[in-house]
Amino acid sequence: MVKNKTYNKKKVLVVFICAIGIILGLVGRLVYLMIFDAEYYQKKAEDLHEREREIKAARGEIVDANGTVLATNKTVCTISVIHSQITDPEHVIKALAEELEMEEETVRKKVEKVSSMERIKTNVEKETGDKIRNLEMDGVKVDEDFKRYYPYNELASKVLGFTGGDNQGIIGLEVKYEEYLKGVNGTILTTTDARGVELDAVAEDRVEPVAGNTLQISLDYNIQMYAQQMAEKVMEEKQADKVAILLMNPQNGEILAMVNVPEFNLNEPFELNTGIDADALSDEEKQEALNQMWRNGCINDTYEPGSTFKAITASACLEEDVVALDDHFSCPGYRTVEDRRIRCHKVGGHGAETFVQGIQNSCNPVFIEIGLRLGVERFCDYFRQFGLLGATGVDLPGEATTIMHKEENIGQVELATISFGQSFQVTPIQMAATFSSLVNGGIRVTPHFGVRVLDGEGKEVKEFSYGTGERIVSKETSETMQMLLESVVAEGSGKNAYVEGYHIGGKTATSQTLPRSANKYISSFIGFAPADDPQILGMCVIYNPQGIYYGGTIAAPVIGNIFDNIFPYLGIEKD
Amino acid sequence: MRRGKVNYDYTLLVALGLLIVMGLVILGSTGAYNGEIKFHDSLYYLKKQIFATALGVAGMFIVAGMDYHLWRHVALLGYVMAIILSLAVMFVGEEYNGSKRWLSLGPLSFQPSEFAKVAVILFLAAIITKNVKDIGKMRTLIKIMVSILPIVALVGASNLSTAIIILGIGVVLVFIASPKYGQFVVMGVMGIGFMTIFLALESYRLERLEIWRNPENFEKGYQTLQGLYAIGSGGLFGRGLGESVQKLGFVPEAQNDMIFSIVCEELGLFGAGFLLLLFLILIWRFFVIATHARDLFGALIASGAMAHMMLQVILNIAVVTNTIPNTGITLPFVSYGGTSVMFLLIEMGLVLSVSKVI
Repeated sequence: MVKNKTYNKKKVLVVFICAIGIILGLVGRLVYLMIFDAEYYQKKAEDLHEREREIKAARGEIVDANGTVLATNKTVCTISVIHSQITDPEHVIKALAEELEMEEETVRKKVEKVSSMERIKTNVEKETGDKIRNLEMDGVKVDEDFKRYYPYNELASKVLGFTGGDNQGIIGLEVKYEEYLKGVNGTILTTTDARGVELDAVAEDRVEPVAGNTLQISLDYNIQMYAQQMAEKVMEEKQADKVAILLMNPQNGEILAMVNVPEFNLNEPFELNTGIDADALSDEEKQEALNQMWRNGCINDTYEPGSTFKAITASACLEEDVVALDDHFSCPGYRTVEDRRIRCHKVGGHGAETFVQGIQNSCNPVFIEIGLRLGVERFCDYFRQFGLLGATGVDLPGEATTIMHKEENIGQVELATISFGQSFQVTPIQMAATFSSLVNGGIRVTPHFGVRVLDGEGKEVKEFSYGTGERIVSKETSETMQMLLESVVAEGSGKNAYVEGYHIGGKTATSQTLPRSANKYISSFIGFAPADDPQILGMCVIYNPQGIYYGGTIAAPVIGNIFDNIFPYLGIEKD
Repeated sequence: MRRGKVNYDYTLLVALGLLIVMGLVILGSTGAYNGEIKFHDSLYYLKKQIFATALGVAGMFIVAGMDYHLWRHVALLGYVMAIILSLAVMFVGEEYNGSKRWLSLGPLSFQPSEFAKVAVILFLAAIITKNVKDIGKMRTLIKIMVSILPIVALVGASNLSTAIIILGIGVVLVFIASPKYGQFVVMGVMGIGFMTIFLALESYRLERLEIWRNPENFEKGYQTLQGLYAIGSGGLFGRGLGESVQKLGFVPEAQNDMIFSIVCEELGLFGAGFLLLLFLILIWRFFVIATHARDLFGALIASGAMAHMMLQVILNIAVVTNTIPNTGITLPFVSYGGTSVMFLLIEMGLVLSVSKVI
C-alpha cells in the first residue's frame, strides 16, 4: 500500500483553495451581473420579448344636418394562420376554402407556407369571421378590425370621400377633417417566445385607443337624395356627360346638397363606375380613370359661366351707378366693339328695351354696353371685390381657382366678352357663392359643409366658425338684384323655374365650351327663393346635353322642380 | 472519523441528493418548452434524465459498496476501452447539432467521452501509484501526461471542452502526487505558450475571443448575449420557477450548456447561489475525503473527482457569465445528458467507497 503522504494532502489543499477562490470569484461576477447590470439586461430582454401591436381607433362618423349617419364603421375580420400551431392542415384548408369562398389551391399554398403568420383574407364579414372562430381550429386566427362603411353607397360620394388601408382619408371631407375623425390608435404590448407566438400567461400592457369624433355637416340626406335623383333623370333625358346640382343657404354658406352625377360607390371606390373592366387597363390608365371618377366637378373644375355672370356685371354697374333700371337700349342683334362684331343670341335682335328687359332677355349687347361704361379698371376692381379671383374657401380639398385675364391684357373686346360671362373660367361653387352674396343683402359667404364636431356621446366638442364675410355690395344694390332676378323668372328667360305661389329669382346660362367648333354646350341655372329674403339657392349645371341645350329650357326646370319639392320640407311658405 | 456498520460520508450524500433533485426540477422547467416544440412532449427531457439518474444511483451504490482497490487491476482495461469507444464514435457515431459524440444502442445513446473521464481518473490513480517512487522526476511526469494524450486527442477531435477537462484532471492529479512545485510553474508557462500558438493557428478561435469581448457586435455572440439577458433578468429572487421567458427559444437549447442562465432567471441570485453552495459542499467533501484517504490510490480517486467537478462547474459558469470565451461545457447534474449524469454518479460511488474506509 502506498501512503497518502502529508505533502499530497497539502497539495490537495492547494487545489481546494484554488477552486474555492475561483468559484467565489465567479459568484462575485454573478452578483455584478445580477445586481449592478440587471437593469441593463432586463431592459434588453424586455425589448426582445415584447411586441407592440397597434389597436386601430374607430374613425369618427360623419352625420348630416339631422343626424343621419352618412359614414360609419363596420367590423370586419382578418383571417390568418400560424403555421407552427396548425394540427390538422387538411381540415383547415377545407374549412377555410369553404367559408371564405376561395379556391382550395390558393388556401393550401398559404396554409402550407412555412412562415410565422400568413394572412388568408382581409375584410371578411363579421358573420363569416364568427363562424370560423367557432370552428376552433388550431392555428387559425380571426382578428377583428374596423372598416369604413357608407350606408348610402353613392350618396354624396365626391363630397364625403373615402378612406384608405390605414383608415386615413383619401378624398373629400374624409381628408379635410382627418384630424377630428381619425382618433388615436392604442397599443398592446405582448410578450412572445422566440418564434413570435404570444404568451397567454404574461399580462398585457394595454393602451386603449381613442375613437375619432363625429363630424356633423350641413348636408341634408333627404335633399341630397332628391337632388341626386333629379340630376340622374336630367342626365339620362338629355344624355349629358354629367350633371351637377348645388343647393346652399345663401345667408350663411351652408351647403345642403352637392350632387355630381355620375357618382360612384364609396364602399367600392376602386371600381370604375363606367362599367369598364378596370383589369383591362394599364395601371396608369386605371389611376387616371379613377381620378376622373373621384373628381368633384363643383369645386375641382372650372367652366365659362355665360349668362349667369350677367347678374354679377349688373350688380357692379348698379353699385357704380353707370346704369339705371329705366335706361333705354337698342339691340339690333349684334354690337360692334372696335373691329369685332359680337352677336346677341337672338339673331334678329331684341330691338328697343329697358335695362330691366335687357336682363330678362339676357341680351348680350345691353351687357356689353354697361360693361364698357364701367371700364376695365373698375370692372376688375369689382371682380376682385366680389371675391371672384380667389378660392371660395369651401371645406373640401382641391378647390380650383378662377382663370382670368391679367388686367393689363384686357382690351375693349375682352371687356365686352367678360361682361356677359365669356372668355374666363370659374368653378360652379364660386358662381354659387358669389351669387349668394349678391342676393343675400350683399355679404360675402364662405360655402361649407362642416358645422360641428361631436364626441362619442353626441356632445359638442367644437363648432366651426366661418366668420362674418365682407360686404361686397350695398344693401340697396342687393335688393335691386333680388327684384331684377325675380323678374327674370317671372317674366323672362328663367320662367321654367317658376313655382306657383313663390317668389323665385334666378338667371339662366348657355355657354359653348372650347373649342367652339365642337358645338358642345354647358347649360346652367342659378335660382334662389324667396326672392326678397333668400333662404335657399340652387344651381344646376348640365354638361354637354344633346338636343335642346338652352339653360332656360333644360336647367331651370330642374331647380324649379327641386324647389317645389323641398320648400315645404324647409318650411318656406307660400306668399 | 465515523464509526458504525456503513461509514459513508453522509454530508456528501445529502448534498448530492439535494443537487440531483434540484437539477431534475430545473431541467424539468427548462426543457419543457423545447421538449414540447421538438417532441410534442414537455416532459421528454425530464423523463430521459430521470431514467439515467435512476440507473446512475443504482450504479453509485453498487460501486460504493465495493472495495475501491479492485479498480487498480482493471484501470488499464477501462482506459483501453475508453480509447476503443472514442475511436468507434469517430466512425459510427451519431451526429447531433453538428458534433459526432454519440454511440447508439437501439433506443439508448451513449457518449464515450463521459465514460472516458471516469476511466482516466482511475487509470491515472493507478499508474501514479505505480510510479510513486520516481514521481518527483520531470521525466516521470511527462511520461504520465503523455500516456493520457491518446484519449485527449481522440475526445478532443469532436469535443474540445471535454478534452480540456480530461487534460486538467491529469494535471491536477500529477500535481497532487508530486512533492515539488517548481516543475508545475514550468508546465504552466509551457501551457500558456501552447494555448497562444493553438489560438493563433486558427482564426476562428481568435474570432471567439472577439465575440467574448463584444458579444453584442457578433451574430455568433447571440447565445452568450441571450444567456446574459437571462442572468440579468433574474435579479435577487428571480421570476419564479417555470417563469423564464428566455428559455422559450431565445437561449438556444436552454436545457444544455446554458442552463445555469435559466437558473439565474427563474431562481435569482439566491437560487443560483444555493446551487453553487451545493457544488462547494461537494468539492469540500472531496477535499476532506482526499486528505483523509488511507492510501494514495484512494486519495487520488477523490482528488480526481474533485478536479473533475470543480473544472466543469468553474468552466461552465465562467462561460455562461461570459467571463471566458464560449466553449460547450455542461453543468454537472443539472444540464441535460444521460451519460454524463450516469457516470458522474458512478464516480460519486467511487468517492463514497473511498470515504467508507477512512
